[in-house]
Order: sequence, then structure tokens, then C-alpha cells
Amino acid sequence: MAIDLDRCIGCRTCMVVCKLHNAQPPGTWWNRVFTPGSGEHQVPTLQKGRPQMYFLPVACQMCENPPCQKVCPVGATYIDDRGRVQVDLERCIGCRYCLAACPYQVRQFNWEDPKKTKGKVGYIEGYEYGYPFPYRDKNGRLVYTPDRPKGVVEKCTFCAQYTDNGEKPICVQVCPARARFFGDLDDPDSEINEVLRQRQAFRLKEELGTRPKVFYLPPAIPHK
Amino acid sequence: MHRKNLVLILALLLLLASLSAWVYQVRAGLIITHMRNPFSWGLYIATFAFFVGIAAGGLIVSSAVYLFSIKALKPFTRVASLSAFASILAAAIIILPDLGRVDKIYLLLLHPNFRSPLIWDVIVVSSYILLTFLSVYFQLLPDWKREGRGFLNRWTQRLSPEEVEKISITWSKRIAFVGLPIAILIHTITALIFATQASRGWWYTAILPADFISVAVASGAALCLLIALLSMGREGFPQYASALAILARIAAWALAVHLFFLATDLVIHWWWANPDELELLSLLFYRYGALYALEMVLTIFSMVYFLTSWGISSPRALLSGGLVLLAGVFIHRLNLLFPAFNHFPLSLTLPGAENEFWSYPVALGEFRPGDSIFVSSWPYVPSLWEIFIDLLPFALVLIICSWMISSYSILPNTRKETTKTISSPFAQNLDF
Repeated sequence: MAIDLDRCIGCRTCMVVCKLHNAQPPGTWWNRVFTPGSGEHQVPTLQKGRPQMYFLPVACQMCENPPCQKVCPVGATYIDDRGRVQVDLERCIGCRYCLAACPYQVRQFNWEDPKKTKGKVGYIEGYEYGYPFPYRDKNGRLVYTPDRPKGVVEKCTFCAQYTDNGEKPICVQVCPARARFFGDLDDPDSEINEVLRQRQAFRLKEELGTRPKVFYLPPAIPHK
Repeated sequence: MHRKNLVLILALLLLLASLSAWVYQVRAGLIITHMRNPFSWGLYIATFAFFVGIAAGGLIVSSAVYLFSIKALKPFTRVASLSAFASILAAAIIILPDLGRVDKIYLLLLHPNFRSPLIWDVIVVSSYILLTFLSVYFQLLPDWKREGRGFLNRWTQRLSPEEVEKISITWSKRIAFVGLPIAILIHTITALIFATQASRGWWYTAILPADFISVAVASGAALCLLIALLSMGREGFPQYASALAILARIAAWALAVHLFFLATDLVIHWWWANPDELELLSLLFYRYGALYALEMVLTIFSMVYFLTSWGISSPRALLSGGLVLLAGVFIHRLNLLFPAFNHFPLSLTLPGAENEFWSYPVALGEFRPGDSIFVSSWPYVPSLWEIFIDLLPFALVLIICSWMISSYSILPNTRKETTKTISSPFAQNLDF
């Protein structure tokens, strides 16, 4: 995935649809969008004495060298056949070593039964959201279920339930500014490789050597 | 005898309280703790590291006796082995309430990921539990044979007391041989759980395993000292005053090594003046300054105190010095977590911006009406439930030690035929 920070308008549409489509419990957000340097989103900060602002969406960086996968004592976190980092919700024992290890802090723990949390929020009786069926990978490992068990870790799956069927992740599908690009990094003809050839790209915390598969295209022109 | 029963009853009550709190946690979820996504390990993990450390007692006493020929400590090998067994078991136990799915713990055996330092720790900690258990067991076998009691010793019925004694010596030596490297490994690998994580600046240092060993030697020696003092009382003291003083001095010098490691580590964090590192230090010295100061005062005080002749002069002095030391080490373990978690790894340095150093907010994992879900730090303080559950390992150590000490001859002056035992070949064996 590539995210064009020049195009991102910080509207947080991706954040909200990600949450809804993936049935994230209240308090849990796989995808975050914030304004770097600012205490409040969408509030400019001073850059060399002049106000400026850009936005930085962060979800799982799908590392090629993922610390979360290496620390997982039971192999619940794994790299699947498409190079995505996934969490087997039935394998996870809830030790939270991965939360300590992930430099991007994208991992979220189910501190209580999500059903109970939803009850506390006060949704209308019977209101359910999210892709309604459990989703298993080719090997039968449970990577998504609308009703997460309490005590396990979850995070962005690159919408495994959609991308396995040729669709794009929901954040890419809905971005009103078309700031997100998604495709096969191994295919030289893919749109994402075309974008990465044309533009200078950077990755978050490059110095840690995690080798993320999420690339950021920096803002080209200073914002006024 | 009355006092020992009282300790046992108190320990059982603590155990009951912590177990019921744990049952509640299993039902309600870890939401009843104050850990959250940005601060995901708390009191349980600090307690785990603490107990792994104090399990070093066995290692120190036997290596002091056999590697450095400090003969005065020889009568303490049994109590040292026992304290090691009780502590390492306690360390393993407190991991259980920290797991979100403790019901799936068998997956550690079914699908171990050998790249994970946690699996390395599972291996060495369980080996150490087994070894320390066997060490206590083989040391007690000859006594059991003589007194016609004990457990798991039916197979010795057909043997003569001499044969049992011989088995006890041979196997104690074998266990010690395997036990020494494993004893060092439990501290090294527990430290590596933290030290391998480049995303956490506070942990990511090669000094950590060495420091864990020094802290373990200090706190392990202090625990041995406390157990021996508490259970043999004022009467036993004159006979073993010099041996107990050696334990206190070992603890003090180990603390000196620990403080040296700590100081070099702090200098390296500070010198380059990387804003990221300075942020870490400001957490340590300002935000958690009071707690850090308390740790320093307690550890430095107990070190200096044990090096003076006053600090080792009486049972009361040794007892209070040991307690201060253990309290200091416990706070040291808590301080392993505070600067590590509240220094968010996803932080950006923004050249020329008004806030040059900015942490990316993290979702808490809890819905709080009227409060933000995204935070840039989390003021973790253990919840009351967490504290109750955390009593579990303490209760366990109390129960194991008080029960074993009152039932069997673990302590030097409670052994019958003391002179005979010491001059017998049994006293020559290596043990943990």
C-alpha cells in the first residue's frame, strides 16, 4: 500500500469505514489519522514561524521483518501467502508481547468482551456493524470474526475478507481524495509499483529495519 | 510453632483473596486492571521479573560454597534451594493472570515459536522449576529415609540408609552441574525478553542481561538472608552470624555492580543528547522522578548499610537491611516498565516545528464516555484488583517456605545431629 500525504485531507473517512467494516469494538481503532506535531487533529502547528499542517494515516505497516511475529510465542501472528501479517484469533493466548514489540503501536487488545463494551456505548438495541461472517485464510486460520473473543489481540488485516477476493481494502476503496494505492508489490506492472517508481517514498521508522510494505509519498509542495 | 502456623494461615488467606480476584478477572477480562493498549504490561510482569531475580538465592549460596570455598555458607544450601524453588514457581504463576486466554496456555507446547524470547524463557524457567525441586528433594531424601516419611520416595524403601545417602550425593552433584548454567540463563533470558526490543529505548541495551544477573544476586542473597533469619530466630543467630554477614556482603557488592551498570546506561542515554533519548530521561527523572528517587534511595541505602559493620551486627539490622533491599529491587522492576511504555515508539521528530518531538496517539482499547480514546501517554497505576491478584506469588512463596521449613529440616540449627550431618559426606555435595 502507498499513501499519498499530498492528497490526504485528514477527513478520517478511512478510519471510520475501517472501524465499521471490521467490527472494531468501541475504544479500538485499527486505523488512525492524526496531524503530526499538533495536539488536536486538523489544527495547524507552527513550522518555522508559519502555520502548516499535513495528515498521517497509520495502520499496520505489514512489515517484511515484523517484530510482532517474531515475539509471538505461539505463532498466532504470521505472514500469510500474500505477504500480509495476520493474527490467528484462535491461536492468540493474549500475552501482549506483540503490543510491546510493535514500533507502530497498531496492535489492540480486547480488554473485555467486545459485546459488553458495545452494550456500554448505548447503541440502539440490535445494532450490529461490520462484515457479518467469520473469515478464515486458506489454511483455515481465523483472521476475522465480527465477535472477537475477549483476551486476544487484533489489528488491520488489509481487509483479508475483501482482498482475498480481488477487492481492495475498504480504506483504499472509500478514500474520497484517492490518496491510497493498493496492489501487488511483486508485480512490476501493478499500479502501486508505477506510483512508487514515479514518486519519492518513505517508510515509517525505517531505521528499525522492519521493512514495512506501507509506503508514504511525502507532501510535494509546502502547504500554505 | 504458633508463629509458623500463623504465617501459614495468613498466607492461605492471601492465596484465597488473590485466587478469587483472579476468578473475577477471568470473567470480566483484563479491563479490571489499569493496563491498556499503550501500557500493556504492568504489575504482573514487574512481579514476574522480581521473582525470577530472587530465585537466584540457590545459585549464589552453592557457588559461594563450591566455587569460592566460602565454607561458612554450607549449612544454608537447603534453605537456598528451597527459596529458589518457591520463587521460580511464584514467577511462573504470576504470568498466568497476565494472559488474556489462560485457557489456551497449552498452545505454548503445541505451537512454540522458537524465535520468541518468551518461549526461551518458558523452557529455562520450567527447567529451573524442575531442577530446584529435584535439588530440594534429593537433599531431603536421606533425612526422610532416617525418619521414615516424605513424598515420592517409595522407591527408597528397599535401599539402605547408606545407599540413599550415596544417591542423594551423586544426584545433587549432577543437578548442580546442570543447574548452574540454567540458573544464569533464567536471568539472561528474562532480560532478553525486554532487551531484544529495538522499539523500546529503555530496554534495548546489551547491559540488561548482565544487570539482571547482578540484581538477581543481590535480591536472591537478601531473600535467603530473610528466610534464614525469620525462621531460626534470635537463638540461632550467634552460631551463623558470620555466614549471614557474608550473604549481606554478597548482596551489597552485587548492588554496587548493578548501580555501576545503571550509571553507564544512563550516561549513554544522555550523552548524545538525541531528543528521543532525552525524552526518555525526562520521563525517568521528572514524570517518574519520585519513584525513581525512591528506588535509588532504597538500593543505595541497603548497599551502604550492608557494607558497614553496623548493618550486619544484629538479626534486626540484617532483617531491615534485607527488607529495604527487596523493596528497592521491586521498585526497580516497576521502573523497568514506566519509561518503556510511556515513551511511545511511534514518535516523530519534526524539524522546525513548534513541537519538535511528537508522539503518535494510541487507541486505549477502552471506551470512556466523555474522555478521549486516543492518548499520548497512559498514567498507569495498578488497580486494586491487580494488587489483589498480584498477592498470589507472595502467598505461594510464604506457603511453600513456611510449610517446608516447619515440616522438614531445612534450616541449619533445626537439623538433628548437626555435627554428624556436617562432617558426613552429605555435606560435601553440590546443590542449589
